[in-house]
Amino acid sequence: MNENWVLKEDEAVELLALLITSARIQLDEPAHYGPLRLLTASERLSGMILERASGKSRDFLQANVERIPELHMRMSDVDAYAAGLDALCREVAECLLRHSSLEEKT
Amino acid sequence: MSDAVLNNIRSRRVVREMSDAPVSREQLETILEAARWAPSGGNLRPIRYIVIEDAETRRLIRLVAPGMFQHAPALILLCLNEEVMIEHSLPPSDRALLIDIGTAAQTIMLAAHGIGLASGPVTSYSKEAVRVILNLPDSYSPEMFICIGHKAESTRRGMKAWKKITWRDLTHWERFPPP
Ligand SMILES: Cc1cc2nc3c(=O)[nH]c(=O)nc-3n(C[C@H](O)[C@H](O)[C@H](O)COP(=O)(O)O)c2cc1C
Repeated sequence: MNENWVLKEDEAVELLALLITSARIQLDEPAHYGPLRLLTASERLSGMILERASGKSRDFLQANVERIPELHMRMSDVDAYAAGLDALCREVAECLLRHSSLEEKT
Repeated sequence: MSDAVLNNIRSRRVVREMSDAPVSREQLETILEAARWAPSGGNLRPIRYIVIEDAETRRLIRLVAPGMFQHAPALILLCLNEEVMIEHSLPPSDRALLIDIGTAAQTIMLAAHGIGLASGPVTSYSKEAVRVILNLPDSYSPEMFICIGHKAESTRRGMKAWKKITWRDLTHWERFPPP
């Protein structure tokens, strides 16, 4: 377990602005923009907490900042996009395990 | 036909990563003067341009604009002015209004490209949040931002096309055959 504080209030409000405005504009935009907005939020959050995060997450966060902008520009290649998102899902699961007590026991 | 114009049209691309290099007031005025020559339905000129250079205002705008990937040194916001619509009895649903936004936007982007600047249009933002941040008069409807700046050294690739298209794919000549 890691109980570091990694997000400042200003940063949290910025993230809220992105999430709330994304929810609104999504009503008027194509459905496939939904993942794009969530990825943008993930990239921003990763960048915000990178410096203060522990070694358990830092590589994962750094990779997000670098890969996500590339990934979401490729959304028209549906198979490659899905594969890229699957890779991110595997890495987030590995990161979760590093933060969980399950991993500590092994 | 001028090759310079055609080359300008063909080589303009949306730029989503911009450097910190500033854009001068003179360059912005050149672009805005070009926009004045864009065609306008009924020559009614319903668009008002709001130029934002202040760094903190730009930062806040970007926070409510999920589609704005650039950190652009200048933003031009194209607004429809409702007073012009009322004066000429145009319903807000009149499609010519948005077509005016389109002709102005393309004119701005080509003018920027013509003087060596990068640009990118953004419509993915919350109108209401932008209204609050800019203290927009009620009669102004914020329709589109154009980010203006300089292309960064290492820029992300553009949005990959859904499929390769040529002008021929988009064009039909003459009448369709009878049903
Ligand atoms: C009406 C309109 C709205 C757009 N909105 C956005 C936007 O919010 N964010 C963005 O990054 N690009 C936006 N674009 C840019 C398009 O994605 C871009 O023009 C398209 O991918 C083709 O790229 P190109 O202009 O470089 O050839 C918009 C373009 C238009 C015409």
